[in-house]
Amino acid sequence: MANSDNEFYAALRDGYRRVFVEEWSVTTGGVLIGIMSVVSFAWARPWGVVGGLRVWGDWLFYAVGLYGERPPSAWLDTNSVITLGLLWGSFAASLLARQFAIRVPPRLELVKGLVGGTLLGIGSALAGGCNVGGFYSAISALSLSGFAMMAGLLAGAWVGLKYLYWEMEHFPSAQAETPAQGRGGLDWNPAKPWLGWALLLAGLAVNELYKARGYVVEGGVLLCGIAFGIILVRSRFCFARSFREPFMTGEAKVTQTVVLSLMISVLGFAVLKWGGLRSEASYVSPNFGLGGLVGGFVFGFGMLMTGGCGSGTAWRAAEGQVKLMVALVMFTLVNSLTKAVLGVFPAVQALVGTRVFLPDYLGYRGAVLLIFLVLVLWYLAVDWNERTDRLVVEM
Amino acid sequence: MEAITPDQVLDCRGLSCPMPMLKLKKALSGLESGQVLQMMGTDPGTRNDIEKGVKKIGSELLGSKDEEGYTSYYLRKG
Repeated sequence: MANSDNEFYAALRDGYRRVFVEEWSVTTGGVLIGIMSVVSFAWARPWGVVGGLRVWGDWLFYAVGLYGERPPSAWLDTNSVITLGLLWGSFAASLLARQFAIRVPPRLELVKGLVGGTLLGIGSALAGGCNVGGFYSAISALSLSGFAMMAGLLAGAWVGLKYLYWEMEHFPSAQAETPAQGRGGLDWNPAKPWLGWALLLAGLAVNELYKARGYVVEGGVLLCGIAFGIILVRSRFCFARSFREPFMTGEAKVTQTVVLSLMISVLGFAVLKWGGLRSEASYVSPNFGLGGLVGGFVFGFGMLMTGGCGSGTAWRAAEGQVKLMVALVMFTLVNSLTKAVLGVFPAVQALVGTRVFLPDYLGYRGAVLLIFLVLVLWYLAVDWNERTDRLVVEM
Repeated sequence: MEAITPDQVLDCRGLSCPMPMLKLKKALSGLESGQVLQMMGTDPGTRNDIEKGVKKIGSELLGSKDEEGYTSYYLRKG
């Protein structure tokens, strides 16, 4: 009996480690992101990141008197709530795995965080969203603008990688002044998992609070955001890698996982829209054109400078990376300002593009088949590249 | 790992993805075959990227050691 008890506790410990401490495979992350993307849309809305950041930026500029119009409530607007949840879940997950630490980069990296975050802000404003809303959720929503951004992201990632090679030749950065974490002072490593659990329980409590006040939908969106944050950190799922790695190392795995994840998400969105359960217009933004292409390019270049996409910048900032925190602040402020400027100049806004909902032209079956065909071609192209290194940019 | 005397040390502490892997690739390209590089890093992502990353360019991860606040990776140029 005592032996079987010991075996049971050992299994429990191993299970805990596998789920909360050891890294999940990127495939697990991609599949779970795909499922959560559909769950989130079925519950209330597609997954997005920069929309929430913009609400916070809008509030800051409204508070200092730059904007006249009062932004929506940061506690009730679902853009804001889902991004808050992402940061919340990421922070909790990195504490649970004892990975959270303040990591101070060298000065050049901080400058790259500032510039890269600025580019993420401009690019996402032009493309109608970041890599999540403008690419992942847009393609899931059967919007052609997602592919325009994808083309821009690929080109931006290629040029961004060339820039990084050039930078390493001409500006070999100095090391960080305070490079190591946890040196001196109180060692709070043992407390991290407890704090992580406290944060997750607080998330459930806030969900209950939303429910008690009659905001059931918003409370559920918060939980969806927390789930996204946990999955991203545990699997270190990064869209920037899916665009960068085929050019940098030739590795295809992350890109192929994004393809798999998108297929799950596209199918779920198609069912929800075709069945009339969700609005066909949802996440079909008027960015098919220059906005998607140029915005994707600027965003792709920014991803290489910051080392993170929209979601990647957020979860790495919540993991304690100071460069990504700086990038996240710039991403927030510049996206808000760029959107405000676009709003003032309708002529510029008109250049951004048009709204193209693929089922309007191909029907739902045709739209899903076309998207799957493009995704399969992307999958095969990176597979071929992994074997041949033909697209790898030499250092 | 203590027994290994590296021929070169690369300090990537404080750097985040993709810089540690890029700097590592560049440092390895400057070494002779068989020489050992010690890389110090703080990015949690490096732990999983490094083995496959260096194998792809014909080098080998000999092992890693957790130090106070960072991890040392030992790599042999192939």
